[in-house]
Amino acid sequence: MSQQHNHSGLTRRQLMKALGAASLLPLAGGVGSFAIGGQHAGRVVVVGGGFGGATAAKYLKRANPAIEVTLVEPAETFYTCPFSNLYLGGLRGLDKIAHGYDELRDRYGVRVVHAMAEDVDAEAHRVTLSSGESLDYDRLVLSPGIDIRWNALEGYDEAAARKAPHAWKAGPQTELLRGQLEAMEDGGTVVMVAPENPFRCPPGPYERASLIAHYLSQHKPRSKVLILDAKDNFSKQGLFTAGWERLYGDRIEWVGLSNDGRVTRVDADRLEVETEFGTRHQADVLNVIPPQKAGWIADRAGVTDDSGWVPVKPETFESQRVEDIYVVGDASVAAPMPKSGFCANAQAKVVAAAIAASLESRPAPDAYWSNTCYSLIGPEYGISVAGVYRIQDGHIAEVEGAGGLSPADAPDSTRALEAQYAVGWYNAICQDTWGTTPGTA
Amino acid sequence: MKRVFHRMSAGLMGALLLAGVTPALADDAFSPAQLEVMAGGCANCHGTDGRLSGNVPAIAGRPAELLASRLLAFKHESVPDTTIMDRIARGFTDEELTALAQHFADIYPK
Ligand SMILES: Cc1cc2nc3c(=O)[nH]c(=O)nc-3n(C[C@H](O)[C@H](O)[C@H](O)COP(=O)(O)OP(=O)(O)OC[C@H]3O[C@@H](n4cnc5c(N)ncnc54)[C@H](O)[C@@H]3O)c2cc1C
Ligand code: HEC
Repeated sequence: MSQQHNHSGLTRRQLMKALGAASLLPLAGGVGSFAIGGQHAGRVVVVGGGFGGATAAKYLKRANPAIEVTLVEPAETFYTCPFSNLYLGGLRGLDKIAHGYDELRDRYGVRVVHAMAEDVDAEAHRVTLSSGESLDYDRLVLSPGIDIRWNALEGYDEAAARKAPHAWKAGPQTELLRGQLEAMEDGGTVVMVAPENPFRCPPGPYERASLIAHYLSQHKPRSKVLILDAKDNFSKQGLFTAGWERLYGDRIEWVGLSNDGRVTRVDADRLEVETEFGTRHQADVLNVIPPQKAGWIADRAGVTDDSGWVPVKPETFESQRVEDIYVVGDASVAAPMPKSGFCANAQAKVVAAAIAASLESRPAPDAYWSNTCYSLIGPEYGISVAGVYRIQDGHIAEVEGAGGLSPADAPDSTRALEAQYAVGWYNAICQDTWGTTPGTA
Repeated sequence: MKRVFHRMSAGLMGALLLAGVTPALADDAFSPAQLEVMAGGCANCHGTDGRLSGNVPAIAGRPAELLASRLLAFKHESVPDTTIMDRIARGFTDEELTALAQHFADIYPK
């Protein structure tokens, strides 16, 4: 058995494949330009070192180590949105949602450049960076995540976000919100504004409300959470509602679209919001989750459509508009897959395989994707929704009979088990994406 | 592919044959690149190559027969100790699950 394996942990088949690909290099077709002497099997630039980008870089190198992979990401430390709600609830330190790029650089040989990609010349196949450097590519992967549509919600601009944080990108915004929760006096109301679909992490606002309620129940027992929602339905709604009742009584109040829940104006100075039919709500802490779009570099690359998101070819996630640019993660239109870190990671693996194949003029393997979104309603109360996805009739479709929700009638022991598996999932996906598992607290 | 054959228990063989899967097919029907993609989602909970052990069990390097019988049971039977694998396994054909079992069995665990 052991002779089948080598130190990198690749199976014999994977190793033979990698060696095979490298030795065939000078014969490989379909690559725009080779370094003299056939040093590499094509140049791939990946923009964004989050769930989609870091995974794409790693799995490109796993598919074929001879591909020259450059990852462009401004931050040296990446803070995950997943589990940032645990930080907000006082259940986890910020350092336990922090990840870096050592594994990609040292173990996989990815060139990691800490800069911003500022422009894409699709014609010339070139990306310009904030550092002044420019990078030529044969294939480009964009995984820039989301940007906020400032002012799409009246009164909510960058200045407003310094008083009423969105905390929908993890880091300073998350710290700001946590500080406000800590500073709030007992008896206060935390108002959360939730957006219409589509947006990053459909269950995210409701997990956040849950874990803020957990914190309040421990430290500020007379306080409450009010969610004002632009929708009438939300992800895992039945499970959340039952869990809220079970753990928090009436501490969390949810007001949907039909009950005048849609916020149309934000006054961040006064911590006040106004709804469609003119109801004003006063907050002690105001968390606005605003409308979103694909990260702006996607606009520069010319791949977004009028919706602000990026239409892609379902089989490969290559842009429908611009050749040789692949877009994964939240920026892409991948429904029925949700905008989750799990999906960004899963899409990136399919893209890595498709690019490795196209650089060798092989057909791409068939796509397989899956998703599981765990949500914690309390530290020992977890729920999940899962899906398995394939191509059907040229579209991404959920495999019938698979996936679905945690059972509605499960005992507390099952909720506790799912809460543990949620932590297992977080450790695994971070290990898979950045090579680091932060442990539990 | 011969490996799969003699590692498999009679019971599992029976189950596979009933399901219309022959062991030879199970290993060879998918290219290595195809298997890597098929197994991609498993890493999100079991770690890269299925090697992370924590409260979610590691699956790398464990006998193909055991992995296959677990996966097929998650899909077809009502397994008492499953929270999520039943929902995931139902997204794959029996042939795919058997190939995944062999794929992870072939990976050195550490
Ligand atoms: C509160 C909350 C909880 C969540 N919980 C979960 C969960 O439990 N499970 C789950 O699966 N998902 C969860 N998500 C969703 C998850 O965070 C996203 O779906 C995921 O981050 C998407 O990955 P991505 O690669 O598209 O973007 P990101 O992970 O955001 O990565 C984008 C990266 O691109 C970089 N970038 C952007 N523009 C440029 C540029 N021009 N040049 C260079 N770099 C650039 C950014 O700096 C960033 O690092 C949650 C989200 C939130 C907000
Ligand atoms: C969302 C997380 C998640 C994903 C994705 C996932 N697993 Fe699992 N796996 C688990 C958990 C949790 C268990 C424990 C059983 C349960 O609760 O369902 C488990 C158990 C198993 C077992 C049984 C191990 C044992 O010791 O009995 C096997 C085999 C397995 N998984 C294989 C896979 C394969 C193959 C895939 C990819 C197709 C996969 N898993 C994807 C979470 C996951």
